[in-house]
This record gives sequence, C-alpha cells and structure tokens, in this order.
Amino acid sequence: MPLDFDRVWLPYLYLYGVGGVFFLGGLWMVVRSEGFNKLRASDRRWLALMFFGFIWYAGLHGIGILAATSLS
Amino acid sequence: MLASLLAFVQHAADPTQVQAMTATAAAGESPIFWVIVIGYFMLVLGFGAYFARFNRSTSDFFFGGRRFSWWLITMSIVATGVGSHSFLKYSSKGFEHGFSSSMTYMNDWFFVPLFMFGWLPIIYYMRVRSIPEYFERRFNPQVRMLATIALLLFMLGYIGIGFVTMAKTLSPILEPHLGWDLMTITWVVAIVAGVYITFGGQTAVIFTDLLQGFVLLFAGVFLFLLGLDFLGGFDAFWSLLPDEYKLPLANFNDDPSFNFVGIFWQDAVAGSIGFLFMNQGLIMRFMACRSVNEGRKAAAFNVLIALPISAIAVSNAGWIGRAISTAQPDLLSPDTVPDEVFVKVTALLTTPAGFGFFVAAVTAALMSTVDTLINAVAAVTINDVYRPFKERGGSRPNDKHYLRDALVVSAIATLIGVGAAWGFSQFESLYEAHGFFQSTLTPPLVAAIFLAIFWKRFTTAGAVATFIMGGVLIVLGNQWPTVFIEPLAHGVPAPGEGTYRYIGALWNLVACFGTGILVSLFTRHHKSESIDGLTMWSIESARRFFKGGEPNDRTGFAMKLRWERLAELPEGVVQVDRETLKGLAADGGEIVYVTDARGWLGGLRSTHAKVMAEPHDHGEVVYVSSDVADTGHFLPGRMLKVEKEM
Repeated sequence: MPLDFDRVWLPYLYLYGVGGVFFLGGLWMVVRSEGFNKLRASDRRWLALMFFGFIWYAGLHGIGILAATSLS
Repeated sequence: MLASLLAFVQHAADPTQVQAMTATAAAGESPIFWVIVIGYFMLVLGFGAYFARFNRSTSDFFFGGRRFSWWLITMSIVATGVGSHSFLKYSSKGFEHGFSSSMTYMNDWFFVPLFMFGWLPIIYYMRVRSIPEYFERRFNPQVRMLATIALLLFMLGYIGIGFVTMAKTLSPILEPHLGWDLMTITWVVAIVAGVYITFGGQTAVIFTDLLQGFVLLFAGVFLFLLGLDFLGGFDAFWSLLPDEYKLPLANFNDDPSFNFVGIFWQDAVAGSIGFLFMNQGLIMRFMACRSVNEGRKAAAFNVLIALPISAIAVSNAGWIGRAISTAQPDLLSPDTVPDEVFVKVTALLTTPAGFGFFVAAVTAALMSTVDTLINAVAAVTINDVYRPFKERGGSRPNDKHYLRDALVVSAIATLIGVGAAWGFSQFESLYEAHGFFQSTLTPPLVAAIFLAIFWKRFTTAGAVATFIMGGVLIVLGNQWPTVFIEPLAHGVPAPGEGTYRYIGALWNLVACFGTGILVSLFTRHHKSESIDGLTMWSIESARRFFKGGEPNDRTGFAMKLRWERLAELPEGVVQVDRETLKGLAADGGEIVYVTDARGWLGGLRSTHAKVMAEPHDHGEVVYVSSDVADTGHFLPGRMLKVEKEM
C-alpha cells in the first residue's frame, strides 16, 4: 500500500481532530463546573497538565509518523 | 551485572540452530524453567499472605483503607491495565500490522480531564463504594439493580476470559509434558488465583501488583532489548520492517480486520470511557489512594508515562518476530499463527530459565487482572446485593460478618469464572470472545455513567432506557448491520461475517447515548432525586459531604512528629500541640492523614483521623487514640507524618 496522505496523515488528523473535540469539550465542562476552582493553585497546575498531555501524545504520534516516512 | 543477567536469560545456544517450535518444547522439559515459574507463584502467594494481615474491615479488604501513595497505585494500575490477554493480543497485532498495535495504549488522554476533575472527586468525596451504589444515589434502587446485573455479567465474563487466556498460553508448554487439557489448566490457574485473592484482599492485590507491575514492564522491555541484540541492533531491526509497519497509526478504513477509524470509536472513545469510568477494579484502586490529589498523580503518571512504555512492552514480541521472519524465515515462519508469536519469539530469544521468567511475567498479568476482578465482584455483590438485602430485612450484621461473606463470594466468583472460561473456549479466538464482551456489554454502562456524571438533566427514566432500550438497539445493530451500522461506518468495507467488529461500537454508543438523551428530554426530573455532590456541577457539595463541614483550603505543611498512644482520647482522634496545628493550617475537628514517616512504605502504615480542637502543650508529639494506632498499624518508636486532608 502506498504511503500517501490518506494512509499517513488522515488517521492522525482524525485522532487529534475528533479526539480534540472530545478533549476540549471536556475541558470546557470542567472549567464551567465546580470540578475546577481557578483560585486553587493545584487546580490550575492540573489544568495545565491536561494541555501538556494532549501535546505530549500528539507529539509522540507526530514524531513516530515523521520517523516512519523519512528514516529508511 | 548486566552480563550475568544476559547469561541467565539470553539463549546460550547458537540461535540459528534453534527453531521457535523446538525452543518452546525444550523449555518445558527443563527443570530450571519449572523452578522459576513455581518459585514466582510461591513469591506472589507469600506476598498475598503477608499483606492479608493488614485487613481489618471490609474497607481494608475492598479499598485498602484509602491510604496509599500515588506511586504504589500507579504500578498497581499498570499490572491491572496491561491485563492477561495483552502480551498475546498485542504481539499478535504487532506481528500482523507493526507499530500501530500500540494505538490502543496511546489514545486515552481525551477523557482524562473529565475523569480527574469529575468522576474521581465524586467517587472519592461521596465515598461511593461501587458503580451500582452510585446509580442508586443518583437515581433509585431499580437503576442500581440494572447496573449491578450489567456490571456483574461484564466482570464475571472477563474473569472467564482471563482464565482461558492463561490456559491457552500455558497449554503448548504443559500439555505435552503433563497431559493436561485446556480445562484442567484453567482449574489449576483458577485455584491459585482464587486462593490468593480470597485470603489477600485489596491490600494484598495492591502490593503484589506493585511487584508484578515492575516485572511486567521490565520483562517486556528486556525482551525488546534481547530481540534487538539478536537482530544486530536497532538499525538492522528498523531496516527489516516494511515501511507501513513503522507507522504508529493503522490504515484509516481499508482493512476490515484492523482499521484506524473503527478502533478509534471502539477503543479511544468507548474503551477509554469504559476503562476510566466503569472499571470497578480501577475505581477501587483510586479509592485506595490517600487523597484525590494522589489519585490524580497516579492517573497522570499512568497515562502519560506508564502506558507508552506498556505499549512497547506488550507489542514488541510481534515487531521483533516480524523482523526475524523477514531475515531468517527458517527460524520463524512469516506464516506463524499470530496468537503464537509471543510464546515462540520469547522461547527463541531466551534460555529455559529466561523463558520461565517471561511465562511468570505473563502469569503475573493474568493474576493481576483476574484478582482485581474477583475482588471487584466481591465488592459489588456484598455492597450492592447482599448488604441492601440484609438491611431491608431489618438485620444489621457487623463488619466481620461481611468480611467473611466477601471471602465466600470471592471463591464463588472464581468458580463461575471457570464456567465462563469453558464458554469462551468454544469461541474461535480469544479476540472474538473479548470483542463480544466489549461491544455488547460496555456501551449501556458507559453511556449511563457518563450522562449521570456530566448532565444534570439526565433522568431516572433516561437511565433505565439507556440500559434496556440501548441494549435492544445494540442487538438490532448486530442483527441487521447494513441498516444500523453501515451509515456510520466511515467507508469501512461492507460486512462479511463480523467485519463491523470495531466501527459497530459507534452505533452502540449512538444508540445508548441517543436513547438516554431523548428519553431524558421528554421526562421529568423528580425533586426527590437529590443529586447534590453526584454530578460534576456540585463537587463542592461532595467535598463538604466528605469532610462533614466546610472545606479548609488554607495551605499547610506536613509535620513530622514522634507519637504516643493515649487510651483516654475519643475514637478516631489525634491530638497535637498548638504550633503543629498552626503548621498544618488545620482547625479542630478537621481530617488529617497520619502515616509512618518512611515514605517508601507508600502508606501501608497509615490512616485518617480527626484532629482535636484543644491542643496539648507537650511539644512535638502527636497523641493517637487506640483505634487510630491499631488501624494505622503504627510501630512504637517510629516517627509519624501528619498532614491536613482538606
């Protein structure tokens, strides 16, 4: 199977696009609800970690794809 | 040291002279193989017996007394999450499809915010002992009963899958030498697992999981290093793999047997919500944490660090196997049955002693998964069926009575698991048996829990409809996939038999969520159904419920003190001096966490207590009531650390 866009990047965009909608929707609910209190420093740190985690996984998968397509 | 370890584990013979098939058979004839496997089992049973003495109540038995540190819980979750079937299943997919076998381990982050800020605080602060109990408090006893039935079926089935997986793993080794058939092996595995959990309880599971979590990760990663060494290094390994095998995500929708979009909906959405929100075993792990913050640390470390490492640990035998089959097809045929790749690659790369170690590691995974599930079945049966039944009959037995019954239930659950194992052994493959459960029983519970936590408007009628109507629609989808599933199939090829096994999850989710939402929109939420503290929109109420008063968010410090038992103190109380009270930033009557100051114990010797309003004036000493000293298992002469809980 050729490594064209559909094979290489479409799953990635779908994962972090549709998954991103769930993720951001969840964060939106968290911030609006009593689950998050912006006056508590620990809550702010945990919220920052949520974004880090998303970038961390998007980065891991992105690097994996780049390695697969560019390192022979 | 590394050289000694390699000599012990790595195959000493010229590997080119050894075929995978003969290596597996030879290992079973070696006494050292059996010494390692049996020795490992004895070690695990010893652990269980030792830590069982820390059980004093049903709270200890089921939840470990809510006292453990995040790192202990993390390793415990690794052992449970990796699961008995993982090494076989993911090595098989790795052999067939390459690095994309790691997908299911690396797509859990999307729902973590809702877990950390929503579900975890709710179950912890509201002291929810089981998922069905949550449903009763959120709705009514009828919904609790529906949830109990669904959950027990799910867990008992999973126990059966665990047993049959291990029996299938051990069968190629045991059958030629001992003549045991699949069911005999299942019985032996079940008896060992049943004895261990029956007498150990949650504390034993958590501590043995700590050991097993390390063993699992170490074994998996070490196998990868052995494989790279066998192939001549990473560059050789990389060059032997076809380009498509190196991609971390599967094809989008071309291959009905393994496609990205189907696995996204089945695993990243349904599986992740199921794992984080309805896995009773996992919930009990988090309930064993000493605080919500420790639970969050455990979850974050697990998903961010442990899961990517686990993905490599469980899959790499397949990747290495594919490279070996390309370089030396006479050693490992490219046509090897994928389910056998893990065992064959391991036997090929290791000595009988090393093979024994790896078999023990997989056994460890089985033990963790099955023991957690048996413990969870006991918790649900006692707390959701037996206790309410007794209380409705006007009887209020003491905790010892329930603890004894929990042991009996654990034993019965083990027996039913063996029966279920027989049923699953009739399926064509483990994958089919596993898929049947995932796709059929998970979505109604997943949808009901998710809507209950995050949607205040979700009504009792909506919850009942999610279970019943949702279940009916799932059956209809399975019966007529072209009508129900195909419109949502994202271009995955039209079904032959079972081809919608992944993307079918999207229909199941739509059916269950849709039913719950629609019915809730057209039914009235009764005022009697108090949901304070039970949704993400009222977590402050949950915090007040936990504390029994207004939470105190003033920042304090952990104070290290010597301790003395003071029999005159009231039950559940500790007393400190004025300066310590100030350092803790605690007021009288507030909950403090009291632990042996040695952090490496992970909270084994610890408990919660209320701090007395009146300080003493004897300096840096904490006076502890007798029951607190006993519950915390504090040792005379050891320092304690006291910390404000909330």
